[in-house]
Amino acid sequence: MKFGIFYEISVPRPWDREAEKRVFDNCLEQVALADELGFDTVWAVEHHFLEEYSHCSAPEIFLTACAMRTKKMRVGHGIVVCVPEFNHPIKIAERTATLDIISGGRLEVGTGRSATWNELGGFRANPDETKKTWDEFVRCLPKMWTQERFSYQGRSWSMPERAIIPKPYQKPHPPMWVAVTSPGTEIDAAERGLGSLGLTFGSVKEQEEKIKNYRRIISTCEPVGEFVNDKVSTVNFLFCHEDTERGNKIGRRMLGTFNFLAAQLLAAREAYPTKSYPSLGLLPTLRREASGPADQAGVPEGIAIGDPERVLRACKRWEAVGVDRINFLLNALETVPQEDVLNSLRTFAKHVMPHFQDSSTQAAAAGGGR
Amino acid sequence: MPSSGTMDVEAFAPNVGEIHGYKTEEWKLKGAQILNVLYEVSNEPFPGLMPVTFHPVIPAYAILNVTHYPESPAGPFTIADVRVGCRAGVRPRGFTLKSYVSTAAAAQELTRRWGYPASVADVSMRAFHDRVVGRVKADGRTILEVEMLDRDFIGGNDIQYVSSMHLCRNREDGKLVVVQLDPEWTFTKAERGRPQLVKFDAKAWNGGDKLVPTWPISASYTIADATLSQIRYVSDPDKDAFKGTTQVAA
Repeated sequence: MKFGIFYEISVPRPWDREAEKRVFDNCLEQVALADELGFDTVWAVEHHFLEEYSHCSAPEIFLTACAMRTKKMRVGHGIVVCVPEFNHPIKIAERTATLDIISGGRLEVGTGRSATWNELGGFRANPDETKKTWDEFVRCLPKMWTQERFSYQGRSWSMPERAIIPKPYQKPHPPMWVAVTSPGTEIDAAERGLGSLGLTFGSVKEQEEKIKNYRRIISTCEPVGEFVNDKVSTVNFLFCHEDTERGNKIGRRMLGTFNFLAAQLLAAREAYPTKSYPSLGLLPTLRREASGPADQAGVPEGIAIGDPERVLRACKRWEAVGVDRINFLLNALETVPQEDVLNSLRTFAKHVMPHFQDSSTQAAAAGGGR
Repeated sequence: MPSSGTMDVEAFAPNVGEIHGYKTEEWKLKGAQILNVLYEVSNEPFPGLMPVTFHPVIPAYAILNVTHYPESPAGPFTIADVRVGCRAGVRPRGFTLKSYVSTAAAAQELTRRWGYPASVADVSMRAFHDRVVGRVKADGRTILEVEMLDRDFIGGNDIQYVSSMHLCRNREDGKLVVVQLDPEWTFTKAERGRPQLVKFDAKAWNGGDKLVPTWPISASYTIADATLSQIRYVSDPDKDAFKGTTQVAA
């Protein structure tokens, strides 16, 4: 089991001159500490127009800053929206390769297609087409990274032969992932040999079935890249505090805020009838998890909130059903004061991380508490 | 935090219907034809179109709905609604600003039983080979003409209607209240097409100069068996839905 951190970068109103800078600065401080503590990866989403909820519209720039402030932590560019109105595939290949070089080969590339009308409508993208363009993009990217020159005649895009440069530092190329939120996307991921990012919907039992299915299919996949990434990574929330009551209280407030904030956005399926979006996407999924059946402390099952013992139990449950990595959201709308976020990371590293065998984080975790 | 509605409900009150208590029987209505069109609308004045009960959805949008019921306890009728997209707590809803109904009998029953803000007008829906047209004429003027062009079949599972809520006055205690409607739909046919708004008079729909359609989102046309269910929840128009919602039926 490996642990990462995951950023939406939510900025509360009023958006005065300093508000956004303060949030970005806080995030970068957290990343630097997480690297010291032995967290494995920092992920940053790509979202556009999601007021207050996510101001992470240029994640490659944020992640470049993360790479500059860290030594070991991997940087997860994900998900990159694989829809031509958002990102041209050549630009994705170029900027990910550059980020891989700058980070010294620490890049992970998450792929996806957006699930809100805010974004799809804002870019005038056709929701019917996004799954198809995603499929084209993920098949092209490894070739653009590895072939000296590349040409392509496709459905949503084409190009004559050119050298797409630079090439990634990692050879043959960075690991690839896909955001798994819609039912059946875990099959799409497995068939293509892609890591499953955010397979977190349903009960633990339901999850277990989906992971088994993913593992069964990926064992005979035809990978789109040069290698298979068969890892399952989930998104969770983290607030860990030695004082049980305080841990639950602050954590619940973060959950509630996230839940409330994400709800105000417009899911693609809500606005536009299409087979392409059988579910509402990541935001309502996370929201559902954040408001699922709660234990005595009022914290939903499987959510990493509370004292170290409870957080450990939640992480162990995910490990038991086959999850390889958990990436944590640390805050929502800055409801958790920065010092509490930093202390939560320290407490987690000191009391929870050492309980996971084969974790690359273990050594660092032993000295994690300050 | 998300913004909340800023409507002055007392100023809006003359537009609302009078509900005769919350206990009503459900209506099962077969073969409803539903034209549902979504348009993005101007963001800035949008919160003024809903009580503080709600949070304006981002981006701001309106639902223009015309439904023909070929049979009902009040006889066949056609109803047109304009709703604004919002959230009650975390749940998606459409707040109905105004309804027009084709028959006086249906308008009276819908208001009495569910509190619809309904007036009688010439409301019609016509399906042509290349388009479906919904039209409302009131006082001799066309106040809504909306179309779905380029008809294309989809599955009923691809349709997701949001429940609607509206403001009404309860005759039993004289209080203004927000009533939630949760119709159930069983689709027998579903189509999607390109939306086109030919005519829209916002003032006639209680939108004043605040409701300005800007970008088309989607249009669908379905045939479904509908159940207008009992009223289950009502909300206080002066409180956030989290704090001011009451269950009134099991």
